Amino acid sequence: MNATLAAMSGGERAGTVDTTCFHCGEPLPAAPAMRMFDGASRRFCCDGCAAAAQWIGDADLDAYYRLRERPGARIDEDDGALALWDREEVQAEHARTLDDGGREITLLTDGMRCAACAWLIDRALSREEGVTDISANAVTGRIRISWDPARTPLSRPLRRLQSLGYRPFLAAGVQQERERRRERNRWLLRIGIAALGSMQAMMFAEALYLDTARQMSLPMRDFLRWIAFLVSTPVVFYAGWPFIAGAARELRHRAPGMDTLIAGSTLLAWAGSVAETVRGGPQVWYDAAVMFVFLLLVARLLEQRVRATASAQVDALARARPAFASRETADGQREAVAVGALSAGDIVRVAPGEPVPADALLLDADASFAEALLTGEATPVPKHPGDQVFAGSLCGAQAARLQLTAVGTQTRLSQLAALIEQAQAHRPPLALAADRIARGFVLALALATIAVYVAWRLHDPSRAFEVALALLVVCCPCALSLAVPAALAAANGALARIGVLPLRADALARLARIDTVVFDKTGTLSLPGGVLRVESLDGLGDAEALRIAAALERDSAHPLAAAFHAAPAADTTIATGVVEHRGAGIEGVVDGRRWRIGLAGFAAATRHDDGAIWLGDGDIASARFTFDESARTDARPTLDALRRLGIASELASGDGDVAVTRFAGLVGIDAAHARMSPEGKLAHVRDLQAQGRVVAMVGDGINDGPVLAGADVSFALGDGNALAARAADLVLASPTLLRIAQAVVLARRTRAVIRQNLAWALLYNLLALPAAALGMVSPWQAALGMALSSLLVTANALRLARVPRA
Amino acid sequence: MNALLILIPLSLVLLLAAIWAFAWAVKRGQFDDLDTPAIDILQGEPEPAPRRPSAVEDGDAG
Repeated sequence: MNATLAAMSGGERAGTVDTTCFHCGEPLPAAPAMRMFDGASRRFCCDGCAAAAQWIGDADLDAYYRLRERPGARIDEDDGALALWDREEVQAEHARTLDDGGREITLLTDGMRCAACAWLIDRALSREEGVTDISANAVTGRIRISWDPARTPLSRPLRRLQSLGYRPFLAAGVQQERERRRERNRWLLRIGIAALGSMQAMMFAEALYLDTARQMSLPMRDFLRWIAFLVSTPVVFYAGWPFIAGAARELRHRAPGMDTLIAGSTLLAWAGSVAETVRGGPQVWYDAAVMFVFLLLVARLLEQRVRATASAQVDALARARPAFASRETADGQREAVAVGALSAGDIVRVAPGEPVPADALLLDADASFAEALLTGEATPVPKHPGDQVFAGSLCGAQAARLQLTAVGTQTRLSQLAALIEQAQAHRPPLALAADRIARGFVLALALATIAVYVAWRLHDPSRAFEVALALLVVCCPCALSLAVPAALAAANGALARIGVLPLRADALARLARIDTVVFDKTGTLSLPGGVLRVESLDGLGDAEALRIAAALERDSAHPLAAAFHAAPAADTTIATGVVEHRGAGIEGVVDGRRWRIGLAGFAAATRHDDGAIWLGDGDIASARFTFDESARTDARPTLDALRRLGIASELASGDGDVAVTRFAGLVGIDAAHARMSPEGKLAHVRDLQAQGRVVAMVGDGINDGPVLAGADVSFALGDGNALAARAADLVLASPTLLRIAQAVVLARRTRAVIRQNLAWALLYNLLALPAAALGMVSPWQAALGMALSSLLVTANALRLARVPRA
Repeated sequence: MNALLILIPLSLVLLLAAIWAFAWAVKRGQFDDLDTPAIDILQGEPEPAPRRPSAVEDGDAG
């Protein structure tokens, strides 16, 4: 009595045109929509996708399908909510009125996955009537639309946007958006002026230096000096303002650091040069001052760019906030209002599948909410009237009525977003250590400079200032303070390109040390779903058993549940009172009878726990489900690559012995542990750590919270949900496991580069200091030496930007 | 040497022009998005660009 059915889900196998939607890549339903596209008949999962493809084809934008790197997003039905975007109170808060009477708004969208999407949005919306300007940025997920309110309401271009599969979300306040752009532009302008100005100043300085035989007439010499003064002054004071401001801050806090030294030596070089220019002294040092400012600005910009890319990820959290809510008025009517207009104490209604607008208390009846964004746990949590419900969680099967308790920045979601932002702004310990060394160095250097100046004053007063300046410049620990951030910036950029997002500042440093990787089998090394076998026991019938199981598993986010989702008739039977017991199974009522599905001990106590999934009433088994799990195609290459790196791989799974052993053999893994609870996995990781191993954990971020937190470094698979799983150090946004090995290679190379850089910077400073103190280095040689040293360090770091092959 | 007295101020004027051009480009948002244009250039607009895609169905023969 065996029935087999292939229950595939997920995109891993879904590559061919025949089984998946042409537009969004999701599995096709029994009766797919068919359309002619580009001379061939294509299948679509729904009318929305078909209409989008049709429109794209008709608009001659079909190049999108060739350019894109990933399938598009599934297209939702238009729910009419877009009309709310036209409301005055929404636009007052988020849009900006332009000089010509038009308006501009910045939106976030969730489906923009590669540059091809940005291209498509750009082309599609610019053809809409009344849209005057549009720019879409795939890196930050932002779209900026300018439109003419007299010619079109905002909802019209947005409807087009939604019909292509990109749902609009409100970005953070317009004020913040503009501030972000203005800040970036100011930095670009500073760098530009520093680059152009220092190029010119160095040209004039060169002319002065080349006059070695002192043949230049004095008026010519002074003319060149005044020109150099003219060019270098804006560089020192406008482009170099961040350093001067930083130095002022450091001095106010009585903690002189790098900025003090940088600003101090540039200002000293500049002021000394001005004095020499005025009194016609023998030497000026404008070139040293401008070179300093320019090179250091470049280094800072590099670091900032990485931060900006990282903060774009935080916007995923902003997207969880709905734009509108349905509020209950005093007379029991409902009205749609912008979320910004809500206040604590309001009563709102949330429909199934919709996000909760603000932190609230549940009223009236039981309901369930998925709090994936807050906890990383995708399983809906059942709540009773009076329980707390959090903004950003998704309402489960029943609609809910809520009384708001906290809105806006007071919600847990906003606080979480702030936390992640904070983590990304946080400097890793290694960088902090380098800063500390540099700070000590600054003080020592200041004292040494004074001592050298006094000594030269006694020995040869005419050279005293020059030697002191040379010492200050040549020994500036710039290379030292660049050594770490430049390497981390380059490495983080390379990581982001391969789809690995570091959430902790020191994740990379810890990743370099690992020697053991523990995989959680279900959903990490194996394909979700797999082939499901049904074996009914007490005359229930295969189809009936599957129907009940599918109903129970319908709302579960466990990777194995996906296999049941694909079962026929999964949508027609509804289970009530469903409760999920973590690590055991699911309980619920189907057709008036109470069922349990899960491990033998939970669902059918009379049966031996053999790794299968049992359906029963708690004691007597009614059916048994087994999975023939297939490994991801890249599982074996990944394990081989890790082995080549000298890293041992282990498998820790919650499944039964037989299945785990079979699977371990399939992928060729060294050590496999079966039947492990989340607590067991954590204990195992702790054991390994006690043996002196440095352990990396790879999980799906759903059931593995504690283990991910307990391991030395952790990877979470997936994108949106795992991003907020605070436990994970790195998120694997790309579906390829090979990225893990690549990330390890990159981390190790980063460690090596940081060590080389630190060694070089220290060696350079140790050699340069005595040479300068003895008066063997002139200020221009000092500036050049310092610049070359910094450039060497940066160039060495940039080697990391190349993506390694694992 | 007199040539320098003209050439150097000229270079300063050019420097100002370059800074102005750069500032203009930054303000106009030329550096806002460095990824999408890379694709744009590969895919030019087809010659008779349909201005209103919704109208294409009526006259798609032409």
